[in-house]
Amino acid sequence: MNETGERPDSERAMVTFPQGLPGFADCRTFVVFAAETGEFQWLTSLEGPAASFLTVDPRRVVPALRYALAPADLVRLRATEDTPLLWLAIVLVEADGTIAVNLRAPIVINPETMIGCQVMPQRSLYPVRHVISAPAV
Amino acid sequence: MLVFTRRRGEAIVIGDGIEIHVLRIGRDGVRIGVAAPDNVPVHRQEIYEQICAANRAAATSDAADAERRAALEAQLIARLK
Repeated sequence: MNETGERPDSERAMVTFPQGLPGFADCRTFVVFAAETGEFQWLTSLEGPAASFLTVDPRRVVPALRYALAPADLVRLRATEDTPLLWLAIVLVEADGTIAVNLRAPIVINPETMIGCQVMPQRSLYPVRHVISAPAV
Repeated sequence: MLVFTRRRGEAIVIGDGIEIHVLRIGRDGVRIGVAAPDNVPVHRQEIYEQICAANRAAATSDAADAERRAALEAQLIARLK
């Protein structure tokens, strides 16, 4: 047991976001853990305001997705071109039931260093609010 | 706010290692070059603010609640089918 839920620490990986997340600059340490169901991950802040994000592999949403990381992003993640990285897109469930995924600024985690950042390429083909499902009528 | 007058080719230095260069001056815009260390992200303000707003909208404060988590996950699974 721990303060964020019922599973042991061994199943919860701690990730450091040295720059915080935009809008949550005080949140620099997160745990990432698999959702109970489905292929989703929760990203939960361990400091600053309580904040959890439901995330999904962006390629689960758009299989042909292509992202190019800037050299500075690789430096921040302490990764090389060959490092296998974990990509997570933040899911937004809106008040009316619309579900959208932020494909513009995905979260990238280097599993070797456990450093993460939210990347915002200068130009992107993908929107901040990619609607995957409108509310049922 | 500090206000400077700079000519084309001139620059401003911020702290240790951040340089802002005025590259070109046009009628409606100024082309600016920014050199910053890799640990200092540089973004257009409107994009940065859009991402901040999206993150704030997506954050849930009650995810420690397993039931609330399960409800959100179930919604997502149903829609991704």
